[in-house]
Amino acid sequence: MEVVLNGERRNVAADTVSALIAEFGLGNKLLVVEIDGAIIPKERWAATRIGEGMKIELVHFVGGG
Amino acid sequence: MTERDALVIGGKKLTSRFFLGTGRFPNPFVQKETIKASGAEVLTFAIRRINLDSPEDDAILQHLEDGNFTFLPNTSGARTAEEAVRIARLARAAGVGNWVKVEISANEKTLLPDPLETLKATEMLAREGFVVLPYTSDDPILCKRLEEAGAAAVMPGGAPIGTGLGILNPYNIGLIVEEANVPVIVDAGLGSAQDVVQAMELGVDGVLMNTPVAKAKDPVAMARAMRLAIEAGRLSYLAGRIPKKKYASASSGHEAYIVR
Repeated sequence: MEVVLNGERRNVAADTVSALIAEFGLGNKLLVVEIDGAIIPKERWAATRIGEGMKIELVHFVGGG
Repeated sequence: MTERDALVIGGKKLTSRFFLGTGRFPNPFVQKETIKASGAEVLTFAIRRINLDSPEDDAILQHLEDGNFTFLPNTSGARTAEEAVRIARLARAAGVGNWVKVEISANEKTLLPDPLETLKATEMLAREGFVVLPYTSDDPILCKRLEEAGAAAVMPGGAPIGTGLGILNPYNIGLIVEEANVPVIVDAGLGSAQDVVQAMELGVDGVLMNTPVAKAKDPVAMARAMRLAIEAGRLSYLAGRIPKKKYASASSGHEAYIVR
């Protein structure tokens, strides 16, 4: 299905947040997930379903001052 | 710094007055060595989208062993208070604490902080229980307002970010220190050890630096220089300097010159 992932339209196979993270090989990373403006806590990743057109943000820490 | 002269922010006791940024280092190894040499306990970060096409890039916390660090994520990239609050919540959700550096720039050329949005974001985030350290312009009244809005410390800039121009308005920084009931951290614009000593002699409680260390020819050596400068400046401030005078006064007095 098509979602807006980090600002870009993408087709993904995953149907849950956990599967999405695995699909991009991010399983062992410290990251935060936001869907349509709401943060999804880690303990809800497995149960949170991904739907057509959702705006998904996957963010992490980078160097900064 | 000694135990006796510790700095407390948001209930946390810090023995180092050096806040170090983690951007722009040549590589993770130099960064790690630099952090060690700096003695810094507070490290700043930014929050960005993961690059999904090359996920092996610069996720910063991956490179840090679990030192006893306090993480201070910034809200860089935000242009409004609402955007800053959103970024702060994302940072907190990562589970690395509840400190946040409010950084809201309205001008791409100067990156100077937007005072109105910074004040608004400080108020909102303090109400949500964050330990808020706003990066602000060096305005004594604004710093007071930020304190009243719930800032745990105020962080006036010495000069625009990354310029290395030093403290452009020492008079203002001095006034901010005089008026403040929360710690004052000079954030941004410092270039070398002399700027750091000047800041500390003005009575600020600490300094936050990134570019002057990360982009120095030898970042590890510069971190050490800055650390010593913080200590020298702090001790000089506490020791109390002599007043400046126009004319000379001999160190050994004028009485009983042997040759006269």
